Amino acid sequence: MKTYIAQRLAIAVLTLFGMSVVIFVLLRMAPGDIVDVLFSAAGYVNPSEKQAILRELGMDKPYWQQYVQWITQIFHGDLGKSYRYDLPAWQIIRPLLPVTIELAILSTIVAIVLGVPTGIVSAVRQDSLLDYTMRVFSLAGLSMPSFWLGMVIILVLVSWLAWIPPLTYVKPTENFWLHCVQFLLPSLAVGYRSSALIMRITRSAMLEVLREDYIRTARAKGQGQRAVVWRHALKNAVLPVVTVVGIEFAFLIGGLVVTETVFNLPGVARFLVEAILWRDYPIVQNLVMFIAIVVILSNLTVDLLYGVLDPRVRYA
Amino acid sequence: MRPRLLLLVAPVVVAAAAVLAAGTPAVSQAPKTGGVLTVAQREETPQGFAIHETSTVSTTWPAMPCLSNLVLFNPAKQQESTDTVIGELAEKWSWQDNYRNLVFFLRKGVKWHDGQPFTSKDVKFTFDMLREAPDAQGKLRINPRKDWYANVVNVEAPDPFTVIFHLKRPQPSLLLMLASGYTPIYAAHVPPAQYRTSCVGTGPFKLKEWRKGEFIEYVKNPDYFVKGRPYLDGIRYVIIKERGTRVAALQAGQVQVAFPGDTSKTTAEQLKSAVPKMVITRAAENVNENVIMNTKKPPFDNLKIRLAVAHAIDRRSLNQAVHQGGAAIGVSMPSRPWGVWGPPESVVNAMPGYGKPADEKAKARKLMAEAGFGPDKPVKVEIVTRAIAVYVDMASFIVNELKQIGIEATLKQIETAQWHAMATRGEYQIGANLTGIGIDDPDANYYENFACNSPRNYTFYCNEQIAALVDKQSAEIDAKKRLAIVLDIQKKLEDEGARPTLDWRVDNFAHWPQVKNLIPHNNFYNYGRMQDVWLDK
Amino acid sequence: MAVRPIGAEIELTQPARAARRDSFWTVTRRFVRKKPLGAAGGALMLVMVLTAIFADVLQTHDPIATDASATLAHPSEAHWLGTDHLGRDIYSRIVHGARVSLIVGLGSTLLGSVLGGIIGLLSGYAGGKTDLITQRLLDILQGLPLLVLALVMSASLGPSVQNVIIAISIPIVPRAARVIRASVLSIREMQYVEAARALGLRHLRIAFRHVLPNTMGPFIVLMTAQLGAAVLVEAALSFLGLGVPEPYPSWGRMLSVSAAEYAQKAPHLVLFPGLAISLAVFGSNLFGDALRDTLDPRLRGS
Repeated sequence: MKTYIAQRLAIAVLTLFGMSVVIFVLLRMAPGDIVDVLFSAAGYVNPSEKQAILRELGMDKPYWQQYVQWITQIFHGDLGKSYRYDLPAWQIIRPLLPVTIELAILSTIVAIVLGVPTGIVSAVRQDSLLDYTMRVFSLAGLSMPSFWLGMVIILVLVSWLAWIPPLTYVKPTENFWLHCVQFLLPSLAVGYRSSALIMRITRSAMLEVLREDYIRTARAKGQGQRAVVWRHALKNAVLPVVTVVGIEFAFLIGGLVVTETVFNLPGVARFLVEAILWRDYPIVQNLVMFIAIVVILSNLTVDLLYGVLDPRVRYA
Repeated sequence: MRPRLLLLVAPVVVAAAAVLAAGTPAVSQAPKTGGVLTVAQREETPQGFAIHETSTVSTTWPAMPCLSNLVLFNPAKQQESTDTVIGELAEKWSWQDNYRNLVFFLRKGVKWHDGQPFTSKDVKFTFDMLREAPDAQGKLRINPRKDWYANVVNVEAPDPFTVIFHLKRPQPSLLLMLASGYTPIYAAHVPPAQYRTSCVGTGPFKLKEWRKGEFIEYVKNPDYFVKGRPYLDGIRYVIIKERGTRVAALQAGQVQVAFPGDTSKTTAEQLKSAVPKMVITRAAENVNENVIMNTKKPPFDNLKIRLAVAHAIDRRSLNQAVHQGGAAIGVSMPSRPWGVWGPPESVVNAMPGYGKPADEKAKARKLMAEAGFGPDKPVKVEIVTRAIAVYVDMASFIVNELKQIGIEATLKQIETAQWHAMATRGEYQIGANLTGIGIDDPDANYYENFACNSPRNYTFYCNEQIAALVDKQSAEIDAKKRLAIVLDIQKKLEDEGARPTLDWRVDNFAHWPQVKNLIPHNNFYNYGRMQDVWLDK
Repeated sequence: MAVRPIGAEIELTQPARAARRDSFWTVTRRFVRKKPLGAAGGALMLVMVLTAIFADVLQTHDPIATDASATLAHPSEAHWLGTDHLGRDIYSRIVHGARVSLIVGLGSTLLGSVLGGIIGLLSGYAGGKTDLITQRLLDILQGLPLLVLALVMSASLGPSVQNVIIAISIPIVPRAARVIRASVLSIREMQYVEAARALGLRHLRIAFRHVLPNTMGPFIVLMTAQLGAAVLVEAALSFLGLGVPEPYPSWGRMLSVSAAEYAQKAPHLVLFPGLAISLAVFGSNLFGDALRDTLDPRLRGS
C-alpha cells in the first residue's frame, strides 16, 4: 500500500512537471507581440517603451530561462507577479479560491442528490416509463450548455421578478441567507449537468448488482424490494459512483468557467478566462497548474478510496 | 507671485471663482447627502487608476472620482466647450502673451488622500512626465497622449501655487486637453507605477477597496477641497463582464447607473418598457466609426477608388441597420447638437456619400469605371476589423455595400489586442474602425488621426496643404476664423477620401431616477468625477 | 488497480462480426425496437447532419445578409424563428450553424480520435517501455479539464475554424488513445494475432490489418460521445469570444454578446440557438449511450 502511494505520487509529480512544460509552451505560441496584447488598452505602444516593458517583466530573457525562473519560484512558494495588476499573483488568486471551492462542492452535492436517487429508481424500475423519463431528464442536463442554462435562469428572474442574485460576493458572515441564494442558482446549473454522469453510472452499477445471485437469493428469501435495494444493492453500487464523483471534479471545473461568467461570481474559473485573454502569464500558468493539481489529487484520492471501500482491490 | 507676472495677468484673467458649484441641478430640489451609488463597470479597469497609461473609458470612468485636474469641463453642462471649462485644482487661470503662456493659480490648502499638501510641484511633475521632458522626475511605462503636449516647451512652477505652461506658439486648445478626464494630476511623492494598483488623489472620493475582477469601492473624501461635496458617502463600481448580465443588473436595480456608451437604442427601449421610470439621456460619446484605407498600398492609393468607397456606403442605412437609427450622421468632427465643430446638415449632405443612395452608388460605379474596374473586373480586397461585435456588425454592412460597386471584400477579424499594432504598421488594405477622441476639439482629433507622422494615422494619408491648415487653425485665437478653417479642413478631407467617417456613436445613458445630477456629456471620457451626484432616497 | 475514466473500461467483444451477418435494415430495425431512445437520438443526429449538408437549400434567407427594416423581429411567416439585432434571419443562421457545429464537432473528434487512436494502437501493440512512456505523456494532457485546455489552446492559436478544431481535438487525443489501447491489449493476445505473428508478418502490418479493424466498436462509441462534448466546447468557446469568428453563424456565438442583451425584447435570440445546441448534443448523447450498450455487452441492459 505504501509503495503504491509513493509510486502514484511520483507519477503525479512527473505528470505535473510535464504539464508545466506544455502550458508554458502553449502560452508562448500566441501570435502577435506580447506587449501589444498586454497593453492594448493604451492603444499604441512605441518600440522604445516596448523594450523597457519587456525588460521590466523579465520577458526579454530566452524562454528556457523564463521557464527555469518560473519553476524555481514555485518551489519557493512564489507565484510571480501579475503583469496586468502589477501585484503578487498569489494576492490576486487567493481571494478567488473560496468562491470556486464552495461552488464546486455545492455543485457536486447537487449532482449526487440529483444523480444517485434517479439512478437507483431508474435501475429498479428498468424500462418503465419512469426509467425513460428520468434518463431523458438526466441526459438533457448533460446536453444543455451550462452557460445557456445560466442565461435562461437570469433572464427568467429579471423579467418575471425584476430581481437577480447579487453580483458581488456576499460573505456568509455578512448575510448568510443572501450568500446561500447567490450560490444556489449557479450550483444548480452546474450540478444538474454533472448529475447525468452520476445517474448513468449509478444506474448501470445497480443493474449489474441487482442481477447478482445473492440479491436474487435475498429476494427469494422474501425480503422486501426496498430492503434489498438499500441493504445489499446500494452498498455494492457505491464504488463506481465514488469513482465518477472523483472524475466529475475535472469535468465540473470546465462547467464553472462559463457559469461563473454568467452569474458574475468572482471565482478562479472566470478569472482564468480573463487572464488568458490578457495574456497574464504568471496568473494563467499558476492557475492552470493549480487546477491540474486538484484534478490529479482528486483522481488519486478516488483510487485510494477505492481500495479502502473494496477489499477485493489489491495494490500491486 | 512675482510682480511682473501679476502685471501681465490683470487684463485677461478668466474669472472662474464659482468653481464646481456652478450649474443648477436638473431637478430643482435641494441635494441630499448620504448613500452609496452603485455603477456598472464593463470590464476590470485596465492598469488600475493609471489614467495616463491607458486610452480607454474603462479606466477613466472608475478612476476619475479619485483624482482631480487643474481644470475640468463643468459636470452640469452637457455640451463641452471652452466656455464650460471650470477650475478644479486651479482656482483661476489666464492666457498670457497672446496665448503663448498659460498661467494657473492653484488652490491653497488642498491635501492628497495620504495627507501630503498639494502644490505646484505636483503639477510640474505630472506634465514634465507627460511631455517626457529631459529632466522629468517621473516616467510612465506607456505614454499614449504625449502628442497633446508637443507644443509645450516648459512647465514652470515659480511658487507653490503658480504654474506657467510656456508654448511654442499660441494653442487655445491646450486648455481643453487639460480639462479632459484623461488629464488628472498625479502626486509627485508617489511613484507613477503605484497608480496601477492604488490611488493617491485629491478627488472627492478615496479608494477603499479594489477587489480584483469584482468591484472598486470608494468612500467620501472628508477633506475634499470643495465645501459640502461630495454628497455621496461612497461609490461602488461593480465589474460585470457579461453584457446580458449587465443589462439585467441595471434593470433589477443591482446597479443604479449604466456604463457610459453601453446602452444601445434597442436596449434603452427594452429598459424603458421594463422600468418606465428609468432615466435615459441621449448623449454623444465622441467616438466615430470610420473606414480606414491604406493610402500606401494598392488599390486604395488611388484617390478614385477611395472616393468610390466613400460614395458607396450609405450612411443612413448603416445607421438604421447597425444602430437602429440611434447614431448621428457627421464627418470628421461631430455636428451640432453632438459637437461644436462639424458642418451643418446641408453641408454634410453635399459631401461624398451623403446624397441620395442611388445617385451615390452611380457616382461610385462611375469612379470605379474610371479607375479601370467594373462588374466584370471587380477589385478583390481583404477588409479587416476588430473581433468585437460592434466592429463586425459595421464591417459586415460595409462588405455588402462594396459588393454593389464591384469591390469584393472578404472580412478578416483581428484579435482585439493586435488591432492597433496591425493598423499602425499598415498591415492591411481597408478596415472598419472606431476612433474615440478625448475631447471635442480639432487639435485632439487632427494631430492624432490625420497628422503625417502620428502612429494613429492608420491610413498614412499625408497632405502638406491640410497639415498647414491644421497648424493654422490650432494657433488661431479668433473662434469664428478658427471654425471657418476647421470647416474647410473637413471638406478637403472628405474630398480626398482620407478616412471617411460613417457615423458618430450616440449613447443612451441610463440610470435609476433616484440618481440625481449625473449629467452625461457629449463625450464619455469627461463626466466621471461624481462630486455633484446625489441620491434621492 | 488504477481506475481509469469510464471510456477505458469499454472493451471489445467481437461486435463487428454480428453486425456483418445481418443486413443493415435488420440491424436498424432491431436497434429501434430495443433502443427507442437511442434511435430517437440517432434520428436527431441524422437531422443535424442533413441540415448541415443541405443548409443552402434549407435556408430561407442569406444567413449573413442584414436587413435594417426587420431588426429583432419576432417569429413570423417571413422569418420563421425571427431575426437578430441586425435583421439576420435566425432560422437560416441556425441551419448554417449546424454546418459550423458539425464541421467543428466532427473535425475535432475525427482529428483527436484518429491521432489518439494511432497513438493508442501503436503504444498498446508495442507494449513495454514505449507503452509506459506514452501513457505518462497522455496523463499530462488528460490532467486538465477539456474546456480549460481548449481555452488556452484557442487563445494561443487565435480565433479561426481550423484553430478551434485543433484546440478541441487535442484534449480528445488522450481519451481516444486510452480506449484504443485497452482494446488492443485484449486483442493482442488473441489467437489470430498470434498466428499472424507466427507467420512472420511485420508488426505494423499486424497492427493495422488485424488489430485495428477489431477496435472499431469502442472507437465508434467514443466518437459519438466526444461529438456531443465537442459541440458543447465549441459553443462555450464561442460564447467566451474565443471560438469560431463572425460572420460564420455559430450557435455559440449567436448566444454571446447581443443575444442576452436583447433577450427580453426578443427571447427567440436566446431560445432557439440554445435549443439547437441542446438537441444536437442530446441526440449524440442518446445515440452514443445506446450504441455503447449494444456494442459493449458488459453493460448490456443498462
